Amino acid sequence: MDPSTALQYVAFAILLGGIYGLVALGLTMIFGVMDVINFAHGALMVVGMYIVWWGTNELGLSLFLTIPIAVIALFVLGVGIHLSTIAPIIDSSQENQLIVTFGVLLIIVSAIEIVFSADPQRLEFGLGSVQFAGVYLPLGQLYALIIAVLAVIIAWAFLQYTQLGRAIRGTADNRDAAQYVGINVPRIDYLTFGFGAALAGLAGAVIPLFQSIDPHLGDAYLINAFVIVVLGGLGSFPGALIGGMIIGFVHVFGQVFLPGSGYQIAIFLIFILVLLLKPSGLLGGDVHE
Amino acid sequence: MGKNSNRPSRRNFIKYIGAAGAVGLAGCVGEDPGDDGDDDSDGVVIGSNHPLSGDLGGTGTRMDNAVQLAAMIKNEDGGIESMDGAEIDVISGDNQGAQELGGEIADELVDDGADVLTGCFSSPVTNAAARAAESSSVPMVISVSVDDAILQENDLNYVYRPQPPAAQMAIDHADLMPAAVRDAGHDIETAAIYYIDIDFGQSVRDRLQEELPEQDIEVVETVSVDFGETVDTQVTQIQSADPDVVIAISYEAETVELVRAMDNQDYAPPFLTGCSNEALNDRSALESMGDTVEGALATNFALDPTNDRAAEVRERFEEEFDQSFDANVAMTYASTEVIIAAIEEAGSADPDDINDALNDIEVSDHIAAMPPISFDETGENENALAPLFQVQDLEDRVVAPEEFAESEIDL
Repeated sequence: MDPSTALQYVAFAILLGGIYGLVALGLTMIFGVMDVINFAHGALMVVGMYIVWWGTNELGLSLFLTIPIAVIALFVLGVGIHLSTIAPIIDSSQENQLIVTFGVLLIIVSAIEIVFSADPQRLEFGLGSVQFAGVYLPLGQLYALIIAVLAVIIAWAFLQYTQLGRAIRGTADNRDAAQYVGINVPRIDYLTFGFGAALAGLAGAVIPLFQSIDPHLGDAYLINAFVIVVLGGLGSFPGALIGGMIIGFVHVFGQVFLPGSGYQIAIFLIFILVLLLKPSGLLGGDVHE
Repeated sequence: MGKNSNRPSRRNFIKYIGAAGAVGLAGCVGEDPGDDGDDDSDGVVIGSNHPLSGDLGGTGTRMDNAVQLAAMIKNEDGGIESMDGAEIDVISGDNQGAQELGGEIADELVDDGADVLTGCFSSPVTNAAARAAESSSVPMVISVSVDDAILQENDLNYVYRPQPPAAQMAIDHADLMPAAVRDAGHDIETAAIYYIDIDFGQSVRDRLQEELPEQDIEVVETVSVDFGETVDTQVTQIQSADPDVVIAISYEAETVELVRAMDNQDYAPPFLTGCSNEALNDRSALESMGDTVEGALATNFALDPTNDRAAEVRERFEEEFDQSFDANVAMTYASTEVIIAAIEEAGSADPDDINDALNDIEVSDHIAAMPPISFDETGENENALAPLFQVQDLEDRVVAPEEFAESEIDL
């Protein structure tokens, strides 16, 4: 492999890793704070994708206007989903929550199929690419990477430096103790679910920039997002980005050096190794059982 | 964020990921059985077993509509003549493109009164449905499914396939494509194969790897794509191998991704071709892929451009369903024409009578670009053909063989 080709693969791995990291952010937030495994995460991404596609292609809105619209819409949708389905069973077993979020996934995906059909859709224009040092950088993925890094920084700063962020972290550390010190935990829960959904919406919103979309595309990202959440450490935002980068590299170089879909085997081998050697993940806290 | 100290959450998280992976891999996302319940009509019932939801739901829905349209047109023309104008009913089942649902939906359709079955698009699903049809002794005419093994590795007496299977697709591509390029005065010595990594893509890839060297073409790179993937890496791999031709064996979305990645990397191989590639036969997909696919060559089953009735069917379909009429729709319609001809020949709704008719039938009046359809002892169409198209002005034009050609090749 010549150096320029190797450099091109590295660039693709970083770009893909950024997208994976962005996809994992909302998932790790909801699980880190609420202990809810949100199977609807991929479906929420799909809603974000279709808002951008529909707003841009059908309504003629600016692409960069539809992305914040998707984020806000997903926040509202997330709060709605939480209040109507998760909140009533927040204290019941995780199995119940899991089934409920799985049900939400089915409802959302089916609704999108009914409204927009299962046909793949795409933006009517391509963003193209730029060439830098002999390496092609597709602009869609590049924008997605920049948005991912910004999202991590903003989300991290929000959690570290705002009162609400501290309340969220306090709730994540110990829900009962948070309640004792006066934190309104139910409010924190719905806001967290809303923020997580908004992050899913943001991840979904950038995907049409570089890829065709369909109602099931969320599934393709969701399984790897779960791996990234475990690899980076449950609840860790920087961990999600680093985990995303690692999986991005494994994905791209696995495609180059392994036959067929062998890269998926490599990704799940890493998953198993992390569980065996460092089950708290790369940036996760200590495990207390 | 820290960890809640009083919940064994990590263990549960991992446990549920495993469960979800299993569920996801199994493709179990619900079920949509035949929609009409038990059939009590005096007519004949065709059971249409296609993916109406899921990754393949878009194309599957159009294929199901093709079955509906063929029945509708026959009914408008007076129904089954040999059965005193009996009407054809179509009941539909959604296999979601999931292998485990192929047989289940076929059984449900038979229970709901289907006298003859058609389906299923995805080869593993068709394989399962074919076995169910065989065990129910209900004939099945495959609408679209390319895997050779469905008929050639099973001893089935009730299953028939009008379309060319993977081997024939690859043979026709390896035969027609290089000949057309060389006849136009160009060299073609190396190829890269880009394929979707499922049964369909693998079976066509394997056969092309056997057939291309016979035509003095060396396969210098083979790259795969999964559903929902971007393909920048694969295009860099292909570009590094510098082939004369890139052959895409993929569905619409994966072909669009290929073209997008080629555009992003300013890569244009001397020739872009498709083997059993639906996107290069779908005019709405061609329009969205734009100039990059202009001049591309593809072999696939196709609508017969020399047949006026074929054009009428295409127009009626687009009018009736407001959907694009691609090669899969054309082949499904032609397969339903075979079923209708067999029912007419049998003069009966009895599955065994229809099966006997299928065994001996020769259907000349169909809309596919291939000679009369008749089946050999394995159920394969003896005259199956995948003609060669070229994308000209972003429309798919048949350019070879001569008897079906509507346009001259232009390289």
